Amino acid sequence: MPNPIFELTNLGKQYPKANDWALKNVDLTIPQGEIFGLLGENGAGKSTLVKQLVGLLKPTEGTVLFCGQNIVNNQSQVALNIGYMPQKATSLNVMTVKESLYYTAHLRGLSRHDANLEVDRLLKLWQIEELKEKNNRKLSGGQQRLLRLAVAMAGRLPVLVLDEPTNDLDPMRRKLAWDNLRKLNKEEGTTIIFITHDALEAEKIIQRVGIMRDGRLTAVGNPKELKKQVDQSLRLDLFFEPSKPPTVPGSLAPVIDQDGHRRYMVAWDAIPEIMAQLNLDEIDDLRLNSASLEDLYLHYTVEESAGGDHHAE
Amino acid sequence: MLNNKRRPQPFLSQVWDLFWIEMTNWRWTWQYLIVVGTITPLLSMLAFSIFARDSGPEALQFIWSGNVLISLMFGLQSRLTSHFVYLRLEGMLNYFATLPIKKSALILAIILAFFLIALPSTLATIFVGAWILGLTITPSPILILVIPLCALPMAGIGALIGSRARNYNDAGATDLIVMFVMLAIGPVLVPPDVIPNFMLTLGRFSPATYAASALRAALNGTLTPTFWLDLGILALISAIIIAVVGRTLDWREA
Repeated sequence: MPNPIFELTNLGKQYPKANDWALKNVDLTIPQGEIFGLLGENGAGKSTLVKQLVGLLKPTEGTVLFCGQNIVNNQSQVALNIGYMPQKATSLNVMTVKESLYYTAHLRGLSRHDANLEVDRLLKLWQIEELKEKNNRKLSGGQQRLLRLAVAMAGRLPVLVLDEPTNDLDPMRRKLAWDNLRKLNKEEGTTIIFITHDALEAEKIIQRVGIMRDGRLTAVGNPKELKKQVDQSLRLDLFFEPSKPPTVPGSLAPVIDQDGHRRYMVAWDAIPEIMAQLNLDEIDDLRLNSASLEDLYLHYTVEESAGGDHHAE
Repeated sequence: MLNNKRRPQPFLSQVWDLFWIEMTNWRWTWQYLIVVGTITPLLSMLAFSIFARDSGPEALQFIWSGNVLISLMFGLQSRLTSHFVYLRLEGMLNYFATLPIKKSALILAIILAFFLIALPSTLATIFVGAWILGLTITPSPILILVIPLCALPMAGIGALIGSRARNYNDAGATDLIVMFVMLAIGPVLVPPDVIPNFMLTLGRFSPATYAASALRAALNGTLTPTFWLDLGILALISAIIIAVVGRTLDWREA
């Protein structure tokens, strides 16, 4: 395992005047160069956790080690190495896009010349060249989000901590964001930790996932392994004309039965037989998927807390 | 692979960048400064001049110094109050807190930038106000020292209110109360002979009293020991308030 970037031990956070703990007993190690995704419902403690990773929140109990050193006593190293993007895309004073990137890069230790080059690189990378002279307060929500992503990356820091990086982005820009993050990790070895509700898209780049509920980390691991533990079935979705449902083997019962759409949970080894029996003329379209990160997320955050079966949809 | 070789920028370089970041605030605040920081004190002086013209030059000097301070209070103190609340409540302080900078560099840069942003309206009030009131003012190099020293305590008070207030409403209300108390309790806008003794005593604890006194002395060119004492007190009050702001402004959440 590569050197750990973060080592969290028994981390807990109770906000002043609050009775409940926002975060409790979190133990987690994130190695250098990993893309780690944090999933969980609203209020699960994800933002509290990442704010502690960048030193914005003081832990009530436990420790956060950054490269082996307690971040409470090591703020300068944290600031020189971690780029943070907050959940709320607040305005950056009244700076233009170009000013926001330039000053951030320079204050992160680049020379003025390199900071200017960094501005050009980031404007191009995030496809926001035409916005460079625009006041950041006048950007749309999606543009503001791209700027905050670029600001987090300004200065080529080795660690990025991003709180919902693709919120407010249209599908094209979401793809751009995931592609850029994957490329950054692959080419520069950047460690990326992010929170997302976009489980389906995040799955394309996540190497390890942590799922949070009620301030606790309820599952951590490789998405494939976690999915195997949770559910080894495949999802067979059939789409058809509502008045003419297709004939399927008698042992299969749909877990979703809507007008023109049925979903069946099927075992891997039963697939060839089922496919052989399906009459393709009765079907408009079919999809066969293993459990997704979204299923995993639902299993650990919704269904498990309700005590239900995660197949029941 | 960490940036072990990279270092934070030197302190002055940090202040320089942060100063320019903060100077961008003129883009939203200049209209306010023209209306509230310049026109309001000038109209106030015009109104006062109508019935105080026959009260003698001393009364006019009080009206002038008081209104210069009103300009500084609206143009600097109030702006800093709302800016510090904005920084805290809108997450901008989190942005700064995650950069490798010193908190003292940020505070210094903000105060410096807002002082410069407010300076044109203060100068307009000083010179146009003196003209409205028929006072003779000779531009003197001493003003270069007097204006910043009069401005700094107001800036510090604004920053302090903004760094402690729970929300914009609380900040605005506290700022206004402090402003009117400072104007009322000492010989700032009106001469001491019309102010009750207990208020004069209280006025000794207000920086506005010393600022108004120093402004009048600079206007008259009477640079007596009292003038230098006023400046010393203003410098001391500024240092104390700004140090308190540095301690109380928690840019990392508890």
